[in-house]
Amino acid sequence: MKDLAVRLAALDPDAGAALRVIAYFDRLTEARAGLQTIVRGAAVLAGCPARLTDDPHRIQVRVQPDGASSPAGEPDPAWMSAPVGGATLWLERPGPPGPVEAMVLERASAAAKAILDRTRRQADPALSELVIDATAAEPLRLQAAARLGHKPTDRVRAIALDDGTAVLLPESAGPPPATRAGIGPTGPVASLPESWAAARIALRFTAEGTEQDPGRRIVHADDLGGLALLATAVTPGSEPIPDVRALERAAATTPWMLTTLDAVAETASLRAAATALRVHHSTLQDRLAHAIPVLGWDVRDPRGRLRLQLALALRRLHRSRH
Amino acid sequence: MAGKFRRVALVFVVVWVTDWRKLSRNKGVLVTSVLPETRGTVGPPPPFDPELGAALAVIGEQLPSALTAEMIEPMRAGSVLADVSDEELARDGAFTVVRRGVPGPAGDPDVELLILTPTGHNTALPGIYHTHGGGMVIGNNRTGIEAMQDWAAEVPSVIVSVEYRLAPEHPHPAPVEDCYAGLVWTFEHAAELGIDPERIVIAGASAGGGLAAGVALLARDRGGPALFGQMLLCPMIDDRNDTPSAIQMAGRGVWDRTANDTGWTALLGAARGGSEVSPYAAPARATDLSNLPPAFIDVGSAETFRDEDVAYASRIWQAGGQAELHVWPGGFHGFDLMVPQAAISVEARAARVRWLKRLLGA
Repeated sequence: MKDLAVRLAALDPDAGAALRVIAYFDRLTEARAGLQTIVRGAAVLAGCPARLTDDPHRIQVRVQPDGASSPAGEPDPAWMSAPVGGATLWLERPGPPGPVEAMVLERASAAAKAILDRTRRQADPALSELVIDATAAEPLRLQAAARLGHKPTDRVRAIALDDGTAVLLPESAGPPPATRAGIGPTGPVASLPESWAAARIALRFTAEGTEQDPGRRIVHADDLGGLALLATAVTPGSEPIPDVRALERAAATTPWMLTTLDAVAETASLRAAATALRVHHSTLQDRLAHAIPVLGWDVRDPRGRLRLQLALALRRLHRSRH
Repeated sequence: MAGKFRRVALVFVVVWVTDWRKLSRNKGVLVTSVLPETRGTVGPPPPFDPELGAALAVIGEQLPSALTAEMIEPMRAGSVLADVSDEELARDGAFTVVRRGVPGPAGDPDVELLILTPTGHNTALPGIYHTHGGGMVIGNNRTGIEAMQDWAAEVPSVIVSVEYRLAPEHPHPAPVEDCYAGLVWTFEHAAELGIDPERIVIAGASAGGGLAAGVALLARDRGGPALFGQMLLCPMIDDRNDTPSAIQMAGRGVWDRTANDTGWTALLGAARGGSEVSPYAAPARATDLSNLPPAFIDVGSAETFRDEDVAYASRIWQAGGQAELHVWPGGFHGFDLMVPQAAISVEARAARVRWLKRLLGA
């Protein structure tokens, strides 16, 4: 196809070459080729590296004209490009595009958009929002679900992402995305509003998974049990209870405080907590000897651990943007 | 690596074909023989791989599936222009390039061997003995050799590529006997060439694959050089030209049933498809496929040669032999050369190198 590109350039750019570019991407679209193949076609036909970038979805496909994929740095705004919905197709060469390059950009971006539209049908915001909208009539919701490819008897669940968007996943789908997310319970399509409500509550119990905000990035509503009731107790502007303020005070004393307390709360024994933290058992004992006076209660006995778990959960609810 | 294949594609696509356009205007298309019907029903052709199909949609109008006898001369004239030079073959000193005239078959002219030796090795290397493709009617010992160089870059080997006489001026047995004579000389002069004579693999694509298989049969039957392996890449091995795949792909893809008829008729004349064809010309005719060197066979599912190549691998196994068979879904003839960037082409080339590495313990 490199030869092809050479000959395309040599041909009358107004007629033959453009028609061939159209034929090429039409065939790929008909055959439902993937994004990688489309971008490869653009690179080969244009004779320079091509890439598709979609920052919100963390997609970056880059292909060299010899067909090999390779990652690279940031795109240069001087390059030729074409929008693909919210994404961008780039030919890594400064513009302005010649007639063949312009045709490659146009047809490749159209082919890529067809793929993104097809694969992201599920994420069509209007339809997804209708399906999970408790105030919409059930027949309307079922109709919207059908357009998203879900039969009323399908078992699906709603997932609340940190950016506020909803994702619907069939029960059979694999693990949810690696982003911070609350996972609603699985049920029939008609109960998606309930799944969504539960997913949003679960999202509030997620953490960033960092030193200052340790905890799970993904929380299943099914695993919350009675904790879910706490969510109603924390509203925007509500005052943190003294135990949460004590946690914040303790956190301010040393960087390891929150991860240490989270490990104590989440594991079955102090030994297991030390292993999870990758510290020696005696180190953990020293740390707790420092933490307990600041907190004001002993986290090593069962009642103290429950109190710690509740305080950590409340802290996440207060910190949540949702 | 892909870039190394482009020139081959150029020979195949550009040159062969531009002339066809000219020729096709005078409508006097020769049908060189009558193609037989096949018994039984055959379904529609299998689809091309999406990426290959898209490329074919673009090159198709310049690349006729059918080639006829009158196209042979213009193709030859064109292919010379696309020859890779000694300097390119040397790859910045990675190979030394030598041409040697060596004795041909008894009473026939010498044959020229093109010998490419990787530099920087002081022990005997495996040998790759190459029989080039070109439908038995075109090409020379540089056709397709860059693919062998890519292999040698990963599995250090000395490449010996034979220049054999072409049909129709030199019908069977001239091509296969020339190839055999060159192999015998290579085997006998292995030490001088820096080749380990116990590790010579014969390799060829298309008509070159047929010749490689024919030479392997000759070597077995004459007690000649003991080959270590045979690499038969989409080989052309059955002059009968009547398999279901030949019929399915008529008029489609690359090297269709009419083109195949042109090549075989050039090699065999009126004997093509008859009862007297030698297995050394058309290895699918061999009744005994036992005691052959391990074979690597690959072919596309959407090409004329699919069924004859699959059958050849099956018959090697049935005879107690060793073969690795790859059928690339939706591949047309020579797809990896013409569309080297396609994902399936990359995999097809990688499979060959993996086999060589396993065979040669590299």
